[in-house]
Amino acid sequence: MANAQRILTLYDQPMWESIQRERMALPKCSHCGTFRYPPGPVCAECNSLDYAWTEISGEGKILSWVVFHRQYFEDHPPPYNVIAVRLAEGPIVVSNLVGGEPEGSWIDQPVTITYRPHLNRTQHAFSLADHPTPKSKREEHA
Amino acid sequence: MAPRTASVIGIGQTDWVGDHARVRSGEKPHDSNGYAAQAFVSALADSGISRNDIDGLIVGPTTAYERVGELLGLDVRWGGQADAMLGVMEACQAIHAGLAEVVALVYGNDQRSAAVNYGGADAQGGGAFLSYVYHAPWGFTSQGALYALMARRYMQERGMSHAELGEVAVAQRMAAARNPAALMRKPITIDDYLASPFICEPLHIFDYCLINDGGVALIVAEAERAKRIGRAPVAIHAVGRHDLNRGATSLEPRLTDYYQPAQKLVAEQVFGMASLGPGDMDALQIYDSFSLHIPLALEGYGYCGTGEAGKFMREHGISLARGLPLNTGGGHLSESYMQGWNHQIEAVRQVRGEAGERQVPNCRHVHYSSDVAGKAVAIIYGR
Ligand SMILES: [Zn+2]
Repeated sequence: MANAQRILTLYDQPMWESIQRERMALPKCSHCGTFRYPPGPVCAECNSLDYAWTEISGEGKILSWVVFHRQYFEDHPPPYNVIAVRLAEGPIVVSNLVGGEPEGSWIDQPVTITYRPHLNRTQHAFSLADHPTPKSKREEHA
Repeated sequence: MAPRTASVIGIGQTDWVGDHARVRSGEKPHDSNGYAAQAFVSALADSGISRNDIDGLIVGPTTAYERVGELLGLDVRWGGQADAMLGVMEACQAIHAGLAEVVALVYGNDQRSAAVNYGGADAQGGGAFLSYVYHAPWGFTSQGALYALMARRYMQERGMSHAELGEVAVAQRMAAARNPAALMRKPITIDDYLASPFICEPLHIFDYCLINDGGVALIVAEAERAKRIGRAPVAIHAVGRHDLNRGATSLEPRLTDYYQPAQKLVAEQVFGMASLGPGDMDALQIYDSFSLHIPLALEGYGYCGTGEAGKFMREHGISLARGLPLNTGGGHLSESYMQGWNHQIEAVRQVRGEAGERQVPNCRHVHYSSDVAGKAVAIIYGR
């Protein structure tokens, strides 16, 4: 069993650098304003090739969630959760919920982005918007 | 493609149960090519035609086209590599276009003995379907997890309970109990299902397909020629396909619409092409790498209303005992995970009336459905 690896295409690299800085950014179409996730060379809405890396607000809502009971990666011992979040900017991202968990259904719970170290990288996670957020490095350095 | 262009004239399979026992005892009876070859020989014998009649070849995605052609001694004028549903569709297209008249479709897979991983750091197919590997940094992997994520949202949004989803596993195990070629034949109850361990919650182990070694083959022929040469031709009345690619990696078409807009378009196409409707189908075969495929297809193809699949499965029934017979061989959950190929030969057997203890009485039409990697495909087999 091995650790979970990132997909690092030419277009993913700048996104992961923005996550490392704890200011996650995505390509935003210069023509129609659509955000791209995963980052890619062309806008799926209007096929424009133009874009600008734009920091996201970090706000979103949980679309769905699962709990893994089987181990697939060395760095993810079960049980652990995975959530799908609809970002305020539109795209759906997959992440983990950290901090307090909601009573009952997690669906439609508002969440806020946070960052945490994982292996030799920083990656995003989300916490409930109305729960105390685990202190991020970004706040410590503010 | 015009309807009734092509018919199935031969089917074959390997000894899934026997080979499973040998693999469990540590043997490696065959590799993918070996399973493919055995299935082909069996389908050719079933069809009663000569190998020289074959002028087209499709092999499954788990073996190399050129090598299988070489092994089987098949020089053809048309061929390629495709999965079960697209393979049948492409054979129909080639026959309709006059590029081939008799096509052999051959599948062999040693996924169990070779310990193929459908999740984790070695997950298969990642390059083609980015969603299978893109979310790995957060521990999100395996195709089962994708369906678990869909299931959680679907169950809440459409009001389906865990017990209602369990109807799928229970019905398919009942079918497998009547199928000597099925691997898991011990009946289970809804309580057994609910008490079984989670793999990726909310999905239990009984919601997952049964990974196994084996092979399946079909011989498909131009319909008029099939009547002359085939022992018992089963018509392919219609095929249809619609793909949802937009937002696929970020899971948009899964999590918002459960692929159902694609299924609705395919339903219009295949039912229109065959001049038949859901009410004319005597049995369904649904690609079921995971149980969730079943309620989604029941709604998507109009067997029940949107949001009614849970109730439909519980009250109307989806088993050989009552309601709409579905995955009558046991499907991927209880027969064997043959990546959709076992569903094709089960459909043919039902229409031929050769399904033994699990035969659906007077089975005239069988609907096959799959939704894999955003491709919704349907085939209607019949007399
Ligand atoms: Zn655009």
